[in-house]
Amino acid sequence: MHIEHDSVLSLQLPYRERLELRRTVVHGRPGPKVAVVAGVHGDELEGLYVCHRLIEWLQGVAATHPEAVRGRVEFYPALNPLGIDTLQRFVPVFDEDLNRNFPGHREGLLPQRLADAVMRQLADAALVIDIHASNIFLREIPQVRINEEFASRLVPLAQQMNIDVIWLHGSLTVLEATIAHSLNSRGVPCLVVEMGVGMRITPSFTEQMLTGILRVWQTLGVLAPEIELPALTHTPLLADGRNVHYLNAETSGLFIPEVEHWSAVRQGQLLGSIVSAHEGGTRSEVRSPVDGVLFTLREYPVVYEGSLMARIMAYEAAAQP
Amino acid sequence: MKPPALLQMTAPLREDFDIVYHDIGSSDVAPRVALVAGIHGDELNGVFVLARLAAFLKSVCEGQQPGQRLCERVVVIPAVNVLGVNTRSRRWPFDGTDINRMFPGYAAGETTQRIAHAVLERTRPAYFRIDIHSSNLDFEELPQVRLYEPNDSERRHAREFGLTAVVERRMNTVFTSTIGHAWRECGGENFVIQAGQAGVLQPGHCERLFRALVTFLHRNGILQGAPLSHDDEDVHYFGLQQTFPLISESAGFFVSRLGVGHWLQAGDLIGQVYDGFHGDLRLDVRAPIGGLLSGIRRQPLLFEGDLIARIQSRHSVPEGVDTYLHGHGQ
Repeated sequence: MHIEHDSVLSLQLPYRERLELRRTVVHGRPGPKVAVVAGVHGDELEGLYVCHRLIEWLQGVAATHPEAVRGRVEFYPALNPLGIDTLQRFVPVFDEDLNRNFPGHREGLLPQRLADAVMRQLADAALVIDIHASNIFLREIPQVRINEEFASRLVPLAQQMNIDVIWLHGSLTVLEATIAHSLNSRGVPCLVVEMGVGMRITPSFTEQMLTGILRVWQTLGVLAPEIELPALTHTPLLADGRNVHYLNAETSGLFIPEVEHWSAVRQGQLLGSIVSAHEGGTRSEVRSPVDGVLFTLREYPVVYEGSLMARIMAYEAAAQP
Repeated sequence: MKPPALLQMTAPLREDFDIVYHDIGSSDVAPRVALVAGIHGDELNGVFVLARLAAFLKSVCEGQQPGQRLCERVVVIPAVNVLGVNTRSRRWPFDGTDINRMFPGYAAGETTQRIAHAVLERTRPAYFRIDIHSSNLDFEELPQVRLYEPNDSERRHAREFGLTAVVERRMNTVFTSTIGHAWRECGGENFVIQAGQAGVLQPGHCERLFRALVTFLHRNGILQGAPLSHDDEDVHYFGLQQTFPLISESAGFFVSRLGVGHWLQAGDLIGQVYDGFHGDLRLDVRAPIGGLLSGIRRQPLLFEGDLIARIQSRHSVPEGVDTYLHGHGQ
């Protein structure tokens, strides 16, 4: 096994510098190609640390089992490199959401060139894992989100990912411009992971994902079957349009949660309050509409009317996949 | 008198806010026309012109414009992204969402989905709906009508603004979340107008836009009386394959003295690109084909692959990357 670093796109910037789309490739014995992409949004950092931990793990196992890796593992920790380096969610200067620019275009604007460059590299992958970290507002339990269109192929893979939730969602035309949809519609399986919160790293989630990703790679034959992996610690619940409840703020103010993220809640239970910096008392009480589990919880306290505070998966319609 | 509001909302710290509009003419009938600007808080030409248009239409109603009469009801929303205008933000300033990617919206959803829903509900009853944009901070557009997969009535009526260019464009996946697309589901006739550049107020473009809107109202019987001007511009209709995007394959500083609206010959000089550090001339940018210069880059800093200009050709040009570029700025 050996590791290489290269660049899959190099673009001149207006003043002297260049933008490089950097990649790390772990070469093993002949076998399938898999990839991890992260940093599509410059404020989502969880996936960058997952890349670091995976590379470190592979280096560790190679020290004792040089034949452990069978195939090629590609890491793209920052698809939006300027965004990561300047703390901007969107592609700097262009103010574009990179994940609305796929499959991109070789002769398009910078966001489309980034998209096109990575799409070309991933065309023959056996599996791509696209790691997101929500945004700065909401904290997410590790989950895989799957477009119903691709469920039959992706759900069996997601079940081995050591995640807490598989969320099946309907097709939205606007989401056709994401990397995941672009890959899946071209026959390259791509799992979208959401975990943690923007601008932060959650080490316990990182280790959970590390286990899940290694498991799936072993199933695909990228890791030799005799290699011992960390034990699975999580089994996913299945969420879909029928059992996910959204709690949007009824009024504006400061949201103060009363419950922990990923806790079981009962119908009518107080989840938090919206209060005002100008007055005592409560402006709005936030209560659970159902018995279920709180898998999304607001991290950023300031809310406007309509701001999402929590998502709850009801027990009733939820089933083990 | 307090203007009507299409949405009222609490704010986290400051006082409650609203999105107000002008409702002009008889309130007994459904509005015939709805005009919207300022979905992006940095596009000021449209905001200014719609406020001026509302003042003009009200003065017509009050009999202060001799010979002019308003025959229909008109709804005018100068700015949707009110906080964005006041804080000079293109997007909804709190969470950075683009309101023109939130349509058709949802009354019980996120803040900007609620805003989108309220704007759509207010404009839905009108037959003619017009959404005004001003590109972005980097690019200047000749005032022009944009049509996205139009029907025949829209093709015909688009000429009645009297603007030099009517440009037909393809829809793309991202556009399905714009107000223009949401309106299509409501029937009627829908137009997007691009005028000038974001971040600045351009009096020449504003005057042309104002005249175009009044001309359209006259020609469709919404206003009656003598037209404001008789010096019609030639109107040119450019189909799907008549837009040529000029892309830079070189980075650096872009300098140009050209204004939008010029008719170019193939080979005409559009501008120069200089090396940002060494200062030497990298290349002369020349028009690869003849045609109308409908848009030009105003931002000097140039990335590889950036759009320098758009040329509307009288002839068919190969359809290329432009389908991927046209979302930028709307």
